[in-house]
Amino acid sequence: MKMKLTRVAFRNLSRNLRRSILSGSAIAVSALSIVMLFGLIMGMRDDMAQNLKMFYSGEISIRHAQYEEFERYNPIHLTVDWKAVEPVLQQNPALEAIVPRINFPASLYINGGNHPVLGVGADFEREKSLIDLTAIVRQGRIPSLGANEMLIGATLARDLNLKLGDSVTMLSTTAARGSNAITWKVVGLAVFPLSALNAKYVWVPIDRAQYFLRMGTDVQDILMMVKSGYDEKALAVEIQAEIQQATGTLTDVQTWKQLNDFYSLLEVAQYLYYLIGIFFFLLGSTVIINTTMMVIYERMREIGTLSALGMQGSELTRLFFLEGAIVSAIGAAVGVACGMLITWYLSKAGLDFTDAMSGIDIEISSVLYPKLNLWTALFVYVYAVVVSSTATLIPSRRAARIEPVEALRYI
Amino acid sequence: MKRIFLIIIILIALIPFALSAITVEEIINRMDAAETFSTSFSRGEILSTDRFGQKTSTFNAWARGADESLIEFTSVAERGQKVLRTKGEIYLFYPDAQELIRLQGAALRQSLLGSDISYEDMTGEKNTLAQYTATIEGQESIGGRFCHIITMVAKSRTVAYPVQKIWVDMETFMVWKAQYSTQNGRLLKEMEVLGTMEVDGRILPSRTAVSDKLKKDSKTIMVLTEMQIDPPLDPSIFSLQNLTW
Repeated sequence: MKMKLTRVAFRNLSRNLRRSILSGSAIAVSALSIVMLFGLIMGMRDDMAQNLKMFYSGEISIRHAQYEEFERYNPIHLTVDWKAVEPVLQQNPALEAIVPRINFPASLYINGGNHPVLGVGADFEREKSLIDLTAIVRQGRIPSLGANEMLIGATLARDLNLKLGDSVTMLSTTAARGSNAITWKVVGLAVFPLSALNAKYVWVPIDRAQYFLRMGTDVQDILMMVKSGYDEKALAVEIQAEIQQATGTLTDVQTWKQLNDFYSLLEVAQYLYYLIGIFFFLLGSTVIINTTMMVIYERMREIGTLSALGMQGSELTRLFFLEGAIVSAIGAAVGVACGMLITWYLSKAGLDFTDAMSGIDIEISSVLYPKLNLWTALFVYVYAVVVSSTATLIPSRRAARIEPVEALRYI
Repeated sequence: MKRIFLIIIILIALIPFALSAITVEEIINRMDAAETFSTSFSRGEILSTDRFGQKTSTFNAWARGADESLIEFTSVAERGQKVLRTKGEIYLFYPDAQELIRLQGAALRQSLLGSDISYEDMTGEKNTLAQYTATIEGQESIGGRFCHIITMVAKSRTVAYPVQKIWVDMETFMVWKAQYSTQNGRLLKEMEVLGTMEVDGRILPSRTAVSDKLKKDSKTIMVLTEMQIDPPLDPSIFSLQNLTW
């Protein structure tokens, strides 16, 4: 009987192919949108995670214990003793790479005016374990250790009309809570994946930053990359204890996820998108519901005849449900397939948001690469079929409630 | 005898009133004169306290007349940094910078070495009456010294503080205390002389507390350890060309 019902359902669908295609298209468009949306969200999430680790905090960040508390006051004097902490970290078996950094607000003095920038003191040799510097430096070269040389974001250089070989004086507050100025030579123009880094940041050798900011051999932040298989959160606690035991000083050791609220928000948002997905499919299902209801009215005479011949109400429900489920399954399959195809293409070509994101201080790259995930696609397919098929139950059950006498009136 | 005693008491009581007979313009002019020397050299230190603790910066300062001064910092963290004030302009010299930095506009409001003193505080002319309208509010004793209380309201918007309330010594015309406020009375900064020294017969502040009321837990004490009045100075030390030596 079930086989027969399936055959009847297919036959009924092919009776009005255009209407069936329309119903399926609604599900297909919903599935396509959700696959692409999930691909974009996953791409954004992965991109943000990578950027946060590379440019901001590493996988584990080690700072002065009070730094975060006073961050808004630019506490450049709250430093970490690099020479004392580095040997402690080198002994940790989880260590993959460590990079010392100094982040400091400064201003560039150009033609009598001060232009705010964010400076980064970096050990460029060590940075190679974190950042692909050769890809980032578009013109010129990386600054040399011991030289007053500067790598500047391309957008910032353009805005300030600075070119390779130009000299520029930078002012900042020192760790002695005084001020200092030093003249740097622009030796490299960088194009970072983040628009904020291009528009605001200048990178200088760490030893010159230490001299400029009167920090001795201290640094402001130590970025640590961890070998795979380690729990970053547990490791952060362990490292904090190790540093305290070895140096007697309390540091603030946090994972990149703990430091970045926006990333956590993005993870929560992912669950929100699942909910949004339900609404998408319900919206798509309204077309199926509507079509099925129209079909029921159109085939009232047929329903009456089938009922008079002894077909049970539950069988009628199943017949219409099957029709809806078949449309949903085919529509979702087409939608997911198209969504996967487009996402795959965009994951190679990328989506360029450079103009839209200029001036926006967010840790997501200007060119986004959506991420294609087969499991997500499968999940969306099952999700689409279940939600849409369930929705068709509403009109299908109506068919079961039609009395044969009532239906036969339409003859 | 009783009558003579009574007359003496009355005369003593009338001293402040007799002194207050002086006009506010005269007080301000004499105050400006007390703060201005043909040349001067001083050595001192700035003790700045903020939420993170205290820091000390030492300096040597040269001045000529009301418009020109040069401060050179001698403490380790700032060694060699100089601040030149000449004809209302302020220039900063940093040993590692290839150019002089001229402060103007909002940059003048920046703090001098993280203290409660701003560069703007150094720019004020010594012709106070040209910038402010002054009125005597009364008299008060500060640290045992009788002072005129004078409120000064700015004539234009070009000055650092729209309203100043100052306590001027009736005898030496030294300012013992000052409160700097906005037009609507919000206190911005407070200055108080904590100690004095006598140089060539003139009483000068040797220890001055300055507190920026917009900063929490912040206070600066400026201490003069040495002061010379009218020493011979080469006028070229106040030139831009000479700033880099």
